[in-house]
Amino acid sequence: MKITPPPEGAFSVVSEARGRPQIAVWRWPIALGALTVFGLFSALLGQKGLWLVLSWISLSIPFIVTVVCLLQAWCVPSVKGGRS
Amino acid sequence: MTTRTLRRWFVVHKWSSLVCTLFLLIVCVTGLPMLFSEQIWDTFVGDDDPPYEVLPPGTPNASLDTLVEKARAMFPGQIITNVSPMDDEPAVLLSMAPSWQALEEDKKYPDRNSSHWIKFDARTAKVLEQSRPANAPPEPRTWTGLIMGTCTRLHINLFAGLPGALFMGAMGGVFVVSLISGTVLYGRFMKRLPFGAVRRDRASRLTWLDLHNLLGVATLVWALVVGFTGLVNELQRPLFGLWRVTDVRQILKPYANLPVPSQDHLASVQAAFETARKAALGNEVTGLSFPGASFGSPVHYVLWTRGATPLRARLFTPVLVDARTGALTGAYPMPWYLRFLEVSRPLHFGDYGGMPLRILWALLDCVVIGVLVSGVVLWAGKRKIATDARLRALGYALDEGEVSPVSALAKGVS
Repeated sequence: MKITPPPEGAFSVVSEARGRPQIAVWRWPIALGALTVFGLFSALLGQKGLWLVLSWISLSIPFIVTVVCLLQAWCVPSVKGGRS
Repeated sequence: MTTRTLRRWFVVHKWSSLVCTLFLLIVCVTGLPMLFSEQIWDTFVGDDDPPYEVLPPGTPNASLDTLVEKARAMFPGQIITNVSPMDDEPAVLLSMAPSWQALEEDKKYPDRNSSHWIKFDARTAKVLEQSRPANAPPEPRTWTGLIMGTCTRLHINLFAGLPGALFMGAMGGVFVVSLISGTVLYGRFMKRLPFGAVRRDRASRLTWLDLHNLLGVATLVWALVVGFTGLVNELQRPLFGLWRVTDVRQILKPYANLPVPSQDHLASVQAAFETARKAALGNEVTGLSFPGASFGSPVHYVLWTRGATPLRARLFTPVLVDARTGALTGAYPMPWYLRFLEVSRPLHFGDYGGMPLRILWALLDCVVIGVLVSGVVLWAGKRKIATDARLRALGYALDEGEVSPVSALAKGVS
């Protein structure tokens, strides 16, 4: 009796050359990460008035972006279905 | 990156996540009520203290020595252990005990507590409130107290004291590893997808994967910061212990074998506060403990001071004042690792930017719960695929009505 190996992980089939340039993948994550860092430290170091408001705004952007992406996926009929 | 390296990262991500997911779910869920504990207590339990007397603004505070004398007169023969002015109310808390030895013996009996406190109005030196006497019937437990207590202890140490805290710290470290490896995988998975795409017209596994990627990358930096500062917080007892056996021991060496003087002949407490304020210029004094306290000096008042600017307010500097003479012995800034710990605390608690920051903390926490749940779904789904493949190989015909995850997966990636 032959036992077939479990299927490959999803990533193993994609060829490296066909993807987007690395920087395109990281543009959004870097922006959201930078906003988070700014938000965390502007409140910690400023702790007053404008710095607090800036902190609330910049920390809420990653959350808002997430919600917008989810809404797009669930409410807009599938046009954003990836490019394959 | 070769497929081989990628596979290694995948294994690292899978195992590090599997190890810490359950505990992270616990801390994420218990952390939510902890974020709002003040509001929860105010809403469900409330504050039955009588309001403070209204005095003309600028009324000076009573001398702390007056409070000390009053407390001694109320409990003759007992010792005072701590004097702590409260920072958000015009009140001073004085802690007392029958003796230092009684406090030491308490440690052997978990249900014994011989210390008690008196709360004074800082301005009029009137007694506002006293702790319940040890022989009084215990206060009825409230649901709020029960729930908040359970959450806090689960969050910090799983009811397991120091070993539990260290274990949770280790889980924090594993979480950081899982976040880093997850980021590497994200870069690879997202090569052919626009940011934030959640494919809903393919296999449900791909929807979960996209969801995991989106939620994970959006909260990545926040989760790294909160996870890492959580790990640092769990190390606080060992770190303070390290400081005590190194610097503190060195400082106290000349005094270690001196007897604790009787409290009747000690220098002025009020003057010790002034001395400490001058010794740590720009700092405010948050409390004083009497000579003889465990970990303290037998002959010194230990005064805790902290900076006045927002960031420095988290950095404590102890000041030693000789309780026999009232002379300053020195101010001792903490070592770098304790400063780091103290600055990292707010970044874990999210308590430094008003209610909006707490709400954001809660929202981001919920997103992280989403990352954990989607991760578990992906892992469980993957196991199902492997199991199905094995079963098929063994000759079991699987229900064809059900979309085979293997083919769906293959379709999704090709």
